[in-house]
Amino acid sequence: MKNFFRSLLAKYMLIIVLALSIVQIAYVMIAILLTGVSDNFETDYTSDEMDYEQIEEDWHKDANSLETEEDISRNFDKWKNQYPDASMFWVDQSGILRDATEKRDDLPTEWTSSFTARFIKDRYGENPFTVIAFVGEEDTDGFVVFEINRDVFQTSTQIAFDNYASWLFVGTLFLVVFFIFISFLFFRGIRKRLLQLQEAMEIRDVDELPIQIDVKKRDEIGQLEQTFNQMVHELRESKKREQEEEQLRRELIANLSHDLRTPLTKINAQTYKIAKQDVSNDAKQAIHALQSSVEDIDKLIENLMSYTLLMASKYKLDIQEVDIVRFSRERIATWYPVFEKEGFEINVELEPLRENVWHVDPVWLGRVLDNLLQNVLRHAKNGRYVELKIESRNSYDAIVVRDRGSGMKDSSNQKGAGIGLSIVDMMIKGMQLDWEIQSSNDGTTIKIKKNIQDKQ
Amino acid sequence: MFRVLYIEDESEIGSWVSDVLREKGYEVVWLTSGDQLNQYLSTVDIAILDIMLPGLDGFSIGKRIKRENADLPVIMLSARTAVEDKLEGLSFADDYVTKPFHPEELVARIEVMLRRFQKNHKVLHIQHLEVYPKEMRIMDKHKNEEIQLTGKQFYLFQYFLQHANQILTKEQLYEGIWGEAYIEGDKTLMVHIRYLREKLEVNPAKPTIIETIRGIGYRVRA
Repeated sequence: MKNFFRSLLAKYMLIIVLALSIVQIAYVMIAILLTGVSDNFETDYTSDEMDYEQIEEDWHKDANSLETEEDISRNFDKWKNQYPDASMFWVDQSGILRDATEKRDDLPTEWTSSFTARFIKDRYGENPFTVIAFVGEEDTDGFVVFEINRDVFQTSTQIAFDNYASWLFVGTLFLVVFFIFISFLFFRGIRKRLLQLQEAMEIRDVDELPIQIDVKKRDEIGQLEQTFNQMVHELRESKKREQEEEQLRRELIANLSHDLRTPLTKINAQTYKIAKQDVSNDAKQAIHALQSSVEDIDKLIENLMSYTLLMASKYKLDIQEVDIVRFSRERIATWYPVFEKEGFEINVELEPLRENVWHVDPVWLGRVLDNLLQNVLRHAKNGRYVELKIESRNSYDAIVVRDRGSGMKDSSNQKGAGIGLSIVDMMIKGMQLDWEIQSSNDGTTIKIKKNIQDKQ
Repeated sequence: MFRVLYIEDESEIGSWVSDVLREKGYEVVWLTSGDQLNQYLSTVDIAILDIMLPGLDGFSIGKRIKRENADLPVIMLSARTAVEDKLEGLSFADDYVTKPFHPEELVARIEVMLRRFQKNHKVLHIQHLEVYPKEMRIMDKHKNEEIQLTGKQFYLFQYFLQHANQILTKEQLYEGIWGEAYIEGDKTLMVHIRYLREKLEVNPAKPTIIETIRGIGYRVRA
């Protein structure tokens, strides 16, 4: 119930109820006001005196009882006394205007039957209120006419109404406009808050999450804001949880790889010690095989780690502007001694491109090149040739790694290359680049391509 | 004789590395944790640290060493190979070697570090040259006379020796010596290398000391 009074619905209901009651109150007020005002418009007549039917009846009754001229005159005086605003006159049997309470220019002194007929017709139901009665019981002494302006008989309320009608109209108009204005303010307020809410919902924090909103009111919009805040909170919680899980997973994999590498290092240590001793050629070969197996396992662990992280989309991608020519040159520089030691012919052609800067993650691209060069060293040793060059075509720029090994179709030679190439594939695609691989018995060519959209 | 501080909790690996280093002529202080570090810190020439250790981890120890003595080269030697670990390691350490490793590789890296930190005052014999690192004096054994280098040539050669056996690209050399970004097509470096070769090489047309690695850069093997 408490919440109901805070709601927008309650507010709007209040406005409507107020508006309706203002109309009602206005009626009452107007009535009171008019009554109050009407007291100032005192009329000279009582309500009984203002009864037309009563006047008509009385006038007829009085006229019937009249006999002489004096009677008429006296009767006129009596009525004049009661109705000072009235006008009376007597027209006798022969049509002569005889006695009149005031001098009347609009009336002829001799009444013809046609004038009389027109007079009666004109006055019927019109203003002034007119009563015509025959004098005496025999209807032989002409007729007496009583006239009174109907305006005189208006009630005080009517007068007040006539005087204040325009005010009433203005007041009503004001009330209507006031109600519209209040409604407008009410809805504008709601609209403004909704727009603010929308804007606030669109703001993003540094971590790409929406920020919490300051809840000022506890109505429906306030509740919406609260719900939104709760949602943001939950979002943050889940993001935090996700990060913790990511951290945990990373940690787990790092620890696992550490724990796997430690015994490998021990194997290395022991083989090194054995190799130090004077051993037969067969034993030396065995030791060499052991050492290269240790290296293979090491690389496999590394790739497995990366692969697991990549598959779970937990390998951080940090895109930067990288000068691709320089980057490739520095990368091959670290590999040069290794290839040199193995007796490879090394051909490096890194000419500047139209646009040297690629948007890539240097760590990822480094991993890609390392994996490719590692594969050359491991699986294309028989070719004794490695080439790293930059290729520029109309539709793409590319880094090309070429060897003269026996090719990928020679599957016995490719064990272990699979996971490395899977990582290469995922990383290249992750950086929005393309790659193609051509392999034959004469060697393998791998191109990491950046497609050029505008060929101008 | 150089003293190597080596912290490794795994006894098998620790004893092996210690043996190898002693064979190569180093004096080795091998600790299994960072607890007694302070006792030895002032007496050693280089520190080699494992990361996963009981108590204080290798990162913390390395940072502490660098804070107290920035001139002591630190090599991290760890089975942790994740990029994050390498980045964290290299934020303070001078090198990061991952296990499993070849002992020769470790020794080579130690030598590079000692030379870079100018702790190795051993006379270098590079073909017909004798280099005395302490005073940076270069003797031509054939002619038996000292070779005088100008400022930039000196820095260039010193840079090569500090990064001996490493292939250096034009950009790396230029930025390492001139301290500003290399602009493609700038001939300054080439000119200086030509002058340096004229002074050092027996036959400057066929250089053997400052090797040209085609398409990549230059290298001095020591």
